[in-house]
Amino acid sequence: MTKSSEESPSRRTFMMVVIGLISAVVGVAVAIPILGEVLSPLFKKRDIVWSKLGKVSDLKNIEPLVPKFVPVYFRVKEGWTVNTLPRQVIVVKDITGKLYFFSNQCTHLGCPLHWIPARQKFMCPCHGGMFNVLGKVVGGPPPRPLYVWVHKIENDTVLIQNKFLDNPKERGV
Amino acid sequence: MFKKIQNWFDERIGLTELINEFNGERIPARGGWAYTLGSLLAFLFTIQVVTGIFLLFYYVPYFPMARNATYYIKHHVLFGNILLGIHLWGAFTMIFFLLVHMSRVYFSGSYKKPRELQWVVGMVLFSVVVVLGLTGYMLIGNENSWWTINVLTNVASHTPVIGGFLRIIVRGGTETSVLTMQHIFAVHVWLLPIIVIMFIPVHIFLIRKTGEQGLPLEYKNSKLADDDINKWKHPDATVPFFPNQLYKDMIVALCVFAVVYMLAVVYGAPIGPMYRPLALNFAPEADWYFLANEELLKYFPGHGLIIFSTFLVPTIGFAILFALPFIDRGHERSPFKRPAAAVLGILFLLLLVYLTLIGGEPKAPATV
Ligand code: HEM
Ligand code: FES
Repeated sequence: MTKSSEESPSRRTFMMVVIGLISAVVGVAVAIPILGEVLSPLFKKRDIVWSKLGKVSDLKNIEPLVPKFVPVYFRVKEGWTVNTLPRQVIVVKDITGKLYFFSNQCTHLGCPLHWIPARQKFMCPCHGGMFNVLGKVVGGPPPRPLYVWVHKIENDTVLIQNKFLDNPKERGV
Repeated sequence: MFKKIQNWFDERIGLTELINEFNGERIPARGGWAYTLGSLLAFLFTIQVVTGIFLLFYYVPYFPMARNATYYIKHHVLFGNILLGIHLWGAFTMIFFLLVHMSRVYFSGSYKKPRELQWVVGMVLFSVVVVLGLTGYMLIGNENSWWTINVLTNVASHTPVIGGFLRIIVRGGTETSVLTMQHIFAVHVWLLPIIVIMFIPVHIFLIRKTGEQGLPLEYKNSKLADDDINKWKHPDATVPFFPNQLYKDMIVALCVFAVVYMLAVVYGAPIGPMYRPLALNFAPEADWYFLANEELLKYFPGHGLIIFSTFLVPTIGFAILFALPFIDRGHERSPFKRPAAAVLGILFLLLLVYLTLIGGEPKAPATV
């Protein structure tokens, strides 16, 4: 006849160890795929695409130091779907004629910026961040100047990538 | 007939005895109305679960459709506006009464030995319910949902070391996408409610183990000194939970529910326009219970300080609240005998109200 655990302390210890081990094995076995599932986005490469913004010759004609908001549409794979991401590109021409392509996302926490002509500033509606027309922070909490879209010019066409220059942590977008 | 059914159960599982034990719990007699707040929260949570389940008959957690599905519930489903309205106003009411319940147990010193765990479990419930509110706001799929997701995941990204990963995990990728909505959906509908459903019974079990402490005035006949722990063990008079306490619980539940229902019918749930990442003059707004936090984000400018508003201040604040029973360990219960705790508590509440009020002011740029 099997002895009950009261009579044999060593058997009791043995059973406790087995109970603990079974729980641990099942726990770990279930935790592994769950962790994989949750962490999976970390191992996925982001879909980076080029998208047409417009003709350089047209953009060169905008007024200097008056930002022009131009929408751009990125067609990218997101998980199991292909989606169109509409984004704003703020095109600014400085007095030398150089073009800048800023994102309209505040560099603080990502709210959409408003251009206030009367003050010649981009203002953030969320926590009062302010940027001048060339993207420099002139007030409020934003920690860095406006993001600049990765861009290139090919036969008079400006192409924009869904990625910011100088943005190692891939904030925003 | 009824007697027979009762006997059938009693012979097998002793049901009557079980019920009597549950109903017979002794509750301190004087402050009954103050002790209705906990069961009010359990009641409101039940309403949230029931209405939430039935919202799922129509809701679709897909970013390009979620807002229109919600709109459909409100405008085309019979009484859908009431169902959605109860879920929204019920959530607001629950968060409000969480603060009231917390204040009540704070000022009556109920978190002190031997009830530290009740407080800690309560804090778990509080944190989870607030996140439930935030994720619910995101699920509507309107403009505020879109920007709230972006802003809050960016806040998370400022957590030291793991911040960047955290944002990617929550979003299901670098960008806010359809996967983000799917994640938030799973969290709002399964993960967090299950945590609450598990922790409310733990909270109540603990309270039954130690007994309800109640307000300090329950102990005024005691001859023992205030800082004697034995003084706080035996209230002067008690009543049974059923029917005395439950009677009050039900009256309060009804009154609050009537208000929630009226708000649902009269104001309903505002849905707002579909999210438009291209919007040029949209000013995102947080729900009222997040405005104090939102206001905090306005201070601490620049690269070096951003971590104060996004991580340090909220985290330290929460940590202090969680650990409160282990920080404040005196045996005094009455707020008049613990002036420091009472004053700090009042100041904290005033600060919360103040930050919420100025956080809710219209934002300048949108109106310039
Ligand atoms: C979903 C949320 C919650 C539910 C359903 C809930 C439920 C209850 C109930 C039914 C009681 C007994 C009756 C009463 O004193 O009101 C109670 C007491 C208590 N609750 Fe909660 N509670 C919740 C959240 C919290 C939170 C956020 C805290 C604090 C951080 C907290 C701390 C306490 C403490 C310390 C007591 C003991 C009071 C005493 O013995 O005098 N609870 N709760
Ligand atoms: S998001 Fe622009 S100031 Fe905070």
